[in-house]
Amino acid sequence: MNTQQLIEDTATKIFSDHCDKALLDRCEQGDFADDLWQQIIANGFHQLGDAASGTTLADIFAFLKVCGRFAVPLPMAEMLLGHSWAAGQLAPCEGLVSIGRQRGDQIIHVPWGRRAQRIFGVEEHSLAVCVADAPVCVQEGNNMAAEARDTVELGSATQQITLSDDPFAQMALARTNLMAGTLQSTLDLGLQFAAEREQFGRSISKFQAIQHSLAVVAAEVAAAQRAADAGVDALGTDRFIAEVAASKARVGEAVGIVAEQVHQVHGAMGFTHEHRLHHFTRRLWAWRDEWGNETYWQRVLGARIAGLGADQAWGFIATRG
Amino acid sequence: MMLQFDRVELDSESDALRHHVRDFIADNKDHLPQPNSDFVTGHDAEFSRKLGAKGWIGMTWPTQYGGGEKSNFARLVVTEELLAAGAPVSAHWIADRQSGPLLLRFGTEQQRQQYLPGIASGESYFSIGMSEPDTGSDLASVRTTATAEGDAYRINGTKIWTTDAHRNHYMICLVRTEAATENRHAGLSQIIVDLKNDGAQVRPIANMAGGEDFNEVVFDNVLVPKDRVVGEPGNGWAQVTSELAYERSGPERFLSAYRVFVELVRICGCEPTSEQSAAIGRIASHFMTLRRMSISVAGMLEQGKDVVVEAALVKELGNNFEKLLPEIARSVAPDLSLESPEAQRLFRQTFEETMLLSPSFTLRGGTREILRGVIARGLGLR
Repeated sequence: MNTQQLIEDTATKIFSDHCDKALLDRCEQGDFADDLWQQIIANGFHQLGDAASGTTLADIFAFLKVCGRFAVPLPMAEMLLGHSWAAGQLAPCEGLVSIGRQRGDQIIHVPWGRRAQRIFGVEEHSLAVCVADAPVCVQEGNNMAAEARDTVELGSATQQITLSDDPFAQMALARTNLMAGTLQSTLDLGLQFAAEREQFGRSISKFQAIQHSLAVVAAEVAAAQRAADAGVDALGTDRFIAEVAASKARVGEAVGIVAEQVHQVHGAMGFTHEHRLHHFTRRLWAWRDEWGNETYWQRVLGARIAGLGADQAWGFIATRG
Repeated sequence: MMLQFDRVELDSESDALRHHVRDFIADNKDHLPQPNSDFVTGHDAEFSRKLGAKGWIGMTWPTQYGGGEKSNFARLVVTEELLAAGAPVSAHWIADRQSGPLLLRFGTEQQRQQYLPGIASGESYFSIGMSEPDTGSDLASVRTTATAEGDAYRINGTKIWTTDAHRNHYMICLVRTEAATENRHAGLSQIIVDLKNDGAQVRPIANMAGGEDFNEVVFDNVLVPKDRVVGEPGNGWAQVTSELAYERSGPERFLSAYRVFVELVRICGCEPTSEQSAAIGRIASHFMTLRRMSISVAGMLEQGKDVVVEAALVKELGNNFEKLLPEIARSVAPDLSLESPEAQRLFRQTFEETMLLSPSFTLRGGTREILRGVIARGLGLR
């Protein structure tokens, strides 16, 4: 078994045991998932991407796919990428690490900014990121999935570090992989519901209209998995931004189709708070807009191709990997 | 339900091959590009013979039958380069993709020796004889009969939508060799018909795009030697279903509208508006993803895996995208009346031709509805 498979299997086991609907409901009310957090640390997942742990940056994204499958209510992308960004450049931070978008003296849309002890501020088109080691939370907020997204001020202790892979694109890729995992679960929920729900004397999965909806969903989910992997494979290459652009744009497009169709399959049940579907679909809707929505990344990719010209477009698309 | 499209990286040999194909295309500019990348529309025997001479037809087949014993990846590289360039590939396409592999897998030794070398050299072309006037998606309902008579079969019935039957040499025809029973899939056979010599009447049917590519083929007591049956008589159903899997995941299932993309990029120029950039990027993000999925399936074929569901997924996504692409393009294309005549000509010709062909994208090779059924079965829904 390779490292990535081991990571995926272990994470799946932990989240199956410790990340259920009750926890998601609690966290939506503002609780921090301390117990789950302890489990993650006890299993060493906070060290993913650390050369010392024998894992790579790519393993972080594989882990995030699993987090997405369980709608893990913790800022795992920010913790893990923040940790990897600090490696060799900053003193380790024992507390919560998060990442947001820098705007003047503030960092906005910071997952759990209210609790974070180190926050990275990212700007578009810049390899430099600002590090705030004494951030001050000035406004608590949420995204549409009720995940904490806060505004902080930089505070007294700030410095700058420079990364080799574009940080804004890394964050977009993190959302892309989270979405890929969540999309998978959304399909699974749709399949399960269609099999269990009976109308007109039979399981609704026997109706062609439902079968075709779920076939469309499956196709989008399959495309999303492949697109998300392609972004990860471009880490460290000069195609990184372009591949992340294709990846986030394509996965974001899948989100719109999948969430709509799976809700339709679930009928009114899926519209209740009691059903767990919304924990997944609301995250998908929130994440597709974070760190650049589809249009943003389509423009990035389109401008690159327009710059190459019509007769070079195929050469750009027809890669080996 | 995990839908696995593994990461597959083409090897460095593929780069050399790719450049070789591009050089070949550059040397044969008089044959291309056609205004579209549709694999059905350009029938050019001379071009097919040139490809055959390069060893780019029947690439994966054993050398003893004229093949090159190359990988499915090598074949993919050649086919996608040709389609992206708008090369006329329809003459040999079906024989290379489908009929040849079918004969290799199920045909008799004599049939392989007789037909495969001609296909590989780009000189012998095949059509698919499946649909009938009353048989479309419900393939098992075919009514064309082949009745044993001494050393021959007597064929009666009508095939329809037979692409290039009026140009090609052979057709592999799905027929009933035994009367229909409760098991609709029993009693079907595939038989090779010589379109030039057996006496089948071929009548072209004009399509809405102004082309005459498909045909009606009428069999009125046509006698065909018994040794033309492919594989075992009665095994036709198993054979056609395996054949259909070959034809569903290749680059021709998402590249049909590729030239529209090229001309869109050209007409938008090096300083596109932000809407134009977004449209170009959106189209590219689909191409990049579909292409990787198609390569994943080639990898599964290479490992001898069953790809029925994965191929259907690629075709479902690819065909829908082929139809979406011209819609995206027209939504951001500049006002053509303000552009140079040359720019207008290229974009408009490509766009209009592809638009007119687009209804066929989600029909041929299994309709969208049939494919969704295949996927649903793979998902355990039926």
